[in-house]
Amino acid sequence: MSSFAMEWYLIALLMFIGFYCMLVSRSIVRQLVGLEIVSKAAMLALISAGYWSNNLVFAQALLITMIVIEVVVVAAGLALLVKNFRLHGSADIWKLDSLKG
Amino acid sequence: MDKALLAFLIIPLFAAVLIPFAARYRPRMADILANVTLLAGLANLAWLALSPSMIASEFANLPGDGLSLLLVGAIYLVGLCVTFFSAWFLDENLPNRPAYYSLLLVSVAAMTGVVTSTDFFTLYVFVEVLAVTSFALITTDESFAGVEGALKYFFLTFPASALIIVGLAILMLTLGSLSYENLRIFMSSDIPAGPVTFGAALIMLGFIIKSGVVPFHAWTPDAYQGAYAPVSAHLAGIVTKISGVYALIKMATLLRFFDGRAQALSEMLMFLGLLSIAVGAIAALRQKDFKRMLAFSSISQVGYIVLAAGLGTPLALIGAVFHLFNHATFKTVLFLNSASVERSAGTTDMDKLGGLEHSMPWTSWTSVVALLSTAGVPPLSGFWSKLLIILALWESGLRTYAVLALLFSIVTLAYFMVMQRKVFFGKKTAAAESSPEVSAPLLAPAIVMCGLIVALGLLFPYFYTYLKVVAERIII
Repeated sequence: MSSFAMEWYLIALLMFIGFYCMLVSRSIVRQLVGLEIVSKAAMLALISAGYWSNNLVFAQALLITMIVIEVVVVAAGLALLVKNFRLHGSADIWKLDSLKG
Repeated sequence: MDKALLAFLIIPLFAAVLIPFAARYRPRMADILANVTLLAGLANLAWLALSPSMIASEFANLPGDGLSLLLVGAIYLVGLCVTFFSAWFLDENLPNRPAYYSLLLVSVAAMTGVVTSTDFFTLYVFVEVLAVTSFALITTDESFAGVEGALKYFFLTFPASALIIVGLAILMLTLGSLSYENLRIFMSSDIPAGPVTFGAALIMLGFIIKSGVVPFHAWTPDAYQGAYAPVSAHLAGIVTKISGVYALIKMATLLRFFDGRAQALSEMLMFLGLLSIAVGAIAALRQKDFKRMLAFSSISQVGYIVLAAGLGTPLALIGAVFHLFNHATFKTVLFLNSASVERSAGTTDMDKLGGLEHSMPWTSWTSVVALLSTAGVPPLSGFWSKLLIILALWESGLRTYAVLALLFSIVTLAYFMVMQRKVFFGKKTAAAESSPEVSAPLLAPAIVMCGLIVALGLLFPYFYTYLKVVAERIII
């Protein structure tokens, strides 16, 4: 198998693992971990695309920006998680059902 | 980046940094600074777009593509209404008052960044900044509902961002760059478009999730209902429209839907648009909560914009852009009025409300103007945008879509009439007995927006010349 196909196979596998982790777990922490795996797969896709289209420098610049954004988003997510735990006393995603209709 | 409008991005960002320092000992400074920043920006924009020489030349020398100028205007308008409303609405002892205004200004700056970006990566960066400020704003009052809404919003928009990044990677692999211009040039050439369309479809899917179109609408009502009252006006009025729907309109022009190069995508988008019109309207009919009903109505109105963007002809794009602007005006009025009702009567449950028109006449009548505009009753502005969208559908031979869009416009009127009767008309209930009209400053934003709705409806021919310039520029 060529290394291009290998990389994208790996990316697809990682993305599947991430989404599977999100689907089957009830804990918000695990869901966040799943999300992180998904976004890491997306980052790998970008760097691989940069390499194979001879745009590696550009892709690296984008990726560093993206990592910074990622940190901010994850910090916001963790803050929400902590706030939710303080209010509800649990981190179970299925207990978030007070809004419906 | 579009250099002409860069100041509108940097100045609110600077003010957002300044506010925590300036308001350390005098919390009121935060209100004043935020309002002055946005008011100055709006005055500047009005001069830029409406100066006599600009009108005389029929908007021929607008900066940029005209669309970004119009949307920056909408962003500043809604932002100003929300900050002005908040200045009188917030509790005196809210601990994080400066933080609230800082976040509002950062979100205004990020939205300006979204509409002035010229490549997909800049778009992505600003959309993420906008999302982070929204999570924080939704939980302003630290209520159960706020945190729950924010968490649902978080867990649906973050995978959407991952999809957008994969789309960007595929676009980079096939196109070699991420600028709008390259995509536009590629789509107007004769090279088979296969993989590029696939990348664009992934990006589009991400933005469809972010704008809350129907199969992915689970987060929208929860986030709007749970959010702190003025924040829900900000979110529904402009934030989700800029972070999701604007990108869809932009993609529709870049992929040249009107010449059929991406036929499948165009049809898919139109179908989702119609689905969200239908599901939003029918779900709104059976809601018990005022804010939640408005959220479903928002999903339904977004459907019209997406439907028009999916069609992609110049007339449809004029309709889409105009409906986006109108949505900002009437949805802000309705959400701000729901905040007033919540403040005055203490609840937004429609079964407990009733007969508020006697004690809150101004709130009641501004709601009537806004809901008639949403339902598309002439001569208000909502009528013209819906007319343009339905005409464009009819003109392209999609009669079924046109008739269904028209029918669901009547359902819109129906559920708003139910809402108006339950909340404002009818017999007074216990909650309505002790609910005085809110103070004049809280009414001012709704009245200004209503004036705008009527004015845009009556002066539509002038506005149409502007929109035509915009459509010509974004399509070429």
